[in-house]
Amino acid sequence: MPIDYRRFNGPEDSVSYKQYTKNFLKSYEELCNELIDENEHRKDGRALDEARTMYARTNMISQAKGSSYVELKKTKVVCSVFDPREIPNKNEFSPLGQIYCEVKFAPFSCPRKRRALVPDAEEKDLSLSLKKALEPAVCRYAFPNYQIDVFVYILEHDGACLAGAINAAGLALANAAVPMYDTITACSIAVIEDKLYVDPTEEEEYVANMTPAKEGINHGIITVAMLSTLEQVAGFTQLGSMDGTCVINATEILQKECQNIVPIIHQILVKDVIHNIDLSEKLEKEAKLREAALNENMEEWKKLLSAD
Amino acid sequence: MPAADLLSSQGLRLDGRRANELRRIRCKLGVFTQPDGSAYLEQGNTKVLAAVYGPHQASKSKSSSDGVVVNCQYSMATFSTGERKNRPRGDRKSQEISLHLRQALTAAIKTELYPRSQIDIYVEVLQADGGTFCAGVNAATLALIDAGIPLRAYVCACSASMAWGARPQPLVDVPHVEEAAGGVVLTVASLPNTGSTALLEMSHKLHMDYFKMVFSSAVQGCRDIEVILDRAVRDHLAEGWTEQDTVTV
Amino acid sequence: MANLLLSPLEKMYILHGVRDDCRSDGRTNIDYRPMELETDVVSHASGSARLRLANTDILVGVKTEIDLPNNDQPGYGKLEFFVDCSANATPEFEGRGGEQLANSISNMMQKAYQSSDAFDLKQLCIFEGKQCWKLYIDILILECGGNLCDAVSLAVKAALYNTRLPSVKTALLDGGNVDLQLSDDPYDNKLLNVDLAPLLVTLCKIGDKFVVDPSAEEENCSVISLIVGATGNKTNYNIDNKKNESCTDSKCTTIVMNGSGSLAPKTLKNAIKQGIEAVQFLDQALGQALLRERRENVTMKKYSYGFLK
Repeated sequence: MPIDYRRFNGPEDSVSYKQYTKNFLKSYEELCNELIDENEHRKDGRALDEARTMYARTNMISQAKGSSYVELKKTKVVCSVFDPREIPNKNEFSPLGQIYCEVKFAPFSCPRKRRALVPDAEEKDLSLSLKKALEPAVCRYAFPNYQIDVFVYILEHDGACLAGAINAAGLALANAAVPMYDTITACSIAVIEDKLYVDPTEEEEYVANMTPAKEGINHGIITVAMLSTLEQVAGFTQLGSMDGTCVINATEILQKECQNIVPIIHQILVKDVIHNIDLSEKLEKEAKLREAALNENMEEWKKLLSAD
Repeated sequence: MPAADLLSSQGLRLDGRRANELRRIRCKLGVFTQPDGSAYLEQGNTKVLAAVYGPHQASKSKSSSDGVVVNCQYSMATFSTGERKNRPRGDRKSQEISLHLRQALTAAIKTELYPRSQIDIYVEVLQADGGTFCAGVNAATLALIDAGIPLRAYVCACSASMAWGARPQPLVDVPHVEEAAGGVVLTVASLPNTGSTALLEMSHKLHMDYFKMVFSSAVQGCRDIEVILDRAVRDHLAEGWTEQDTVTV
Repeated sequence: MANLLLSPLEKMYILHGVRDDCRSDGRTNIDYRPMELETDVVSHASGSARLRLANTDILVGVKTEIDLPNNDQPGYGKLEFFVDCSANATPEFEGRGGEQLANSISNMMQKAYQSSDAFDLKQLCIFEGKQCWKLYIDILILECGGNLCDAVSLAVKAALYNTRLPSVKTALLDGGNVDLQLSDDPYDNKLLNVDLAPLLVTLCKIGDKFVVDPSAEEENCSVISLIVGATGNKTNYNIDNKKNESCTDSKCTTIVMNGSGSLAPKTLKNAIKQGIEAVQFLDQALGQALLRERRENVTMKKYSYGFLK
């Protein structure tokens, strides 16, 4: 594995002390039973088909053309989008604009291990999935031979990272005034022991990826990105092992969940626009005031000049 | 001398060959359809694939008005050796062999015919059992012929070693066990038809008195290989007119 | 694939062919091109296979090494995929040019084999918590003629089916270190259970229809394809071919959308179903071929072709 030599990396063979705690050594069944109580409520009190409430805002980073911040309870994602620029090291003409995506975990973001600063396989994979999801949403013909940079930084990882990243990137792209066909929203679902957990936490995702005790039980994670007005699936990834009907059921649920997020995103964008209009009006007013003041001064100066 | 018992008292080597015998060579031209020329060659347990693209326009930085630029890449499949290789190319040994391949093949190609052009030759080792460079050169020659690129002569490569028994005797076409035994290995790439040598490389030390002996046995190996390659080309062309070209037309 | 140039008219021809269910090479939309498969082609590897699907040529070698199991999975072995795009396929792959494609394929394979339903890593355990087998699955792409994913997954399954692990004679625990003795006899080995290993099927959307096993030209005409990975079926790999055994359904292990387009939800669902069906069909064909190959191996009738055919 490549190591960043400019930073202190710690001994190479060190392991997290958490591997020796009781929590770590729990069996699959114990972990499974912990996730849900007898009333079908999850650890954080949600029902199985209840997504987390989302908080999002724009204009997080002043240097970027557009930026956003998305929070799904403990999952916190920052995204910044930069202006189109010429594609570096490219000779051929590309008629469609390119989107360059980079997803990065903060070193302290994951509960189970420290993230290295060098991008690892999971980050590269997330970047690729994000890119594939954004491509159908953006009007790429509008900027041929140019590329837009999208950077996603995950501050805290508590499940549904890819969905959070897509939501944040969609918002940031809109904030950056990149022409788009539709708002893009995403949601994920975890399947554990044939139960569907909408918008899973990190713990639930971990169990969903584990080997179940019995063979032939559905488990895994599905993430869907939707362009809801156009009714198009922009991105679809599935992992684990589940039969066809399970995949299709989960897709239907996710489709609805994605639709539920759209009003939130729209609201934020409308607020953003209103804020911008207010701001420009305010600036205009200020400019007028300044001009009036200047004109007054001018009159005085003219008087002084003519007095001489 | 470490390589004392390479030859048994009956005059047989570790794999049962005599001192002047080559390993079995089997080859086929035109294994792939997408490259302009391709060939597969098996020399004992060493198996090599070669593909040729070109001649095509050279990239600006490489272009030369004197003649064609020959671009070689040698890579070994990660599963080709006894112990797994971590990367197929880019290490020093494969880079060196790429340079050697280029040297040997440039000697054979009529470079002056294609100024400002480039020929790409890619050699992929699927299974390594000693003499991968030699097999690579032989396969590349076949691939060049399959691509229809004018050559001065066949370029063939062969290695030779020395057995120090009761009577010093040169061994032709060295497999991995004999290479690993630590004796001298002389690799020769030559154009047997013109009688010239394109590349000469030797590892370990050898007394000058014996050099001629080893060298001449390696060159004899090259001549033998040329006969085999020539027959393969003729066979391929004989059947080629009936089968292959009806498909491609 | 690489530097493939198609004129609008040629694209239109392919498009109309797909619409009328008669493609440019005479296949219907759900037909595969003929394949050639041979196992045991590289003697330095524990298992190997070569698959040729029209112009696509894949060589897979499996190497085994002994490794320490992960702390959180003491009873499991390890599996690692490595894809190498040989420059033989296209000059664009020279140097590090093929790395991006190679990474995306190896990632996809890793995901497909992640679930325990797909490949049981417990069979690679030697000594729980101390030693396990690590399988390096090295995939060499020699020629690209479209539909790489399907060809790679088929070749990998065949190579794993062909893989022989040396049997462990004794494993002693000596003061915390494991002392292993492996059998020297090349015929004394154990085979892997890969009945359930997943296969990938690429469904390429051209016009309004999905096409299976796209050629390089057809891939060029499509903006979106769906790759469905689903597990195989046990009954296909049983020598006695008992049909009465509980026939397990194929399970999806990975689904990925590839390309820059999007799909309507309804089309997506239909495509997933179609993909699973195609996997079942492919798996059956592969099972038959592999069983025949093994029978020939046992009766010493197998003739090794390699690349000489």
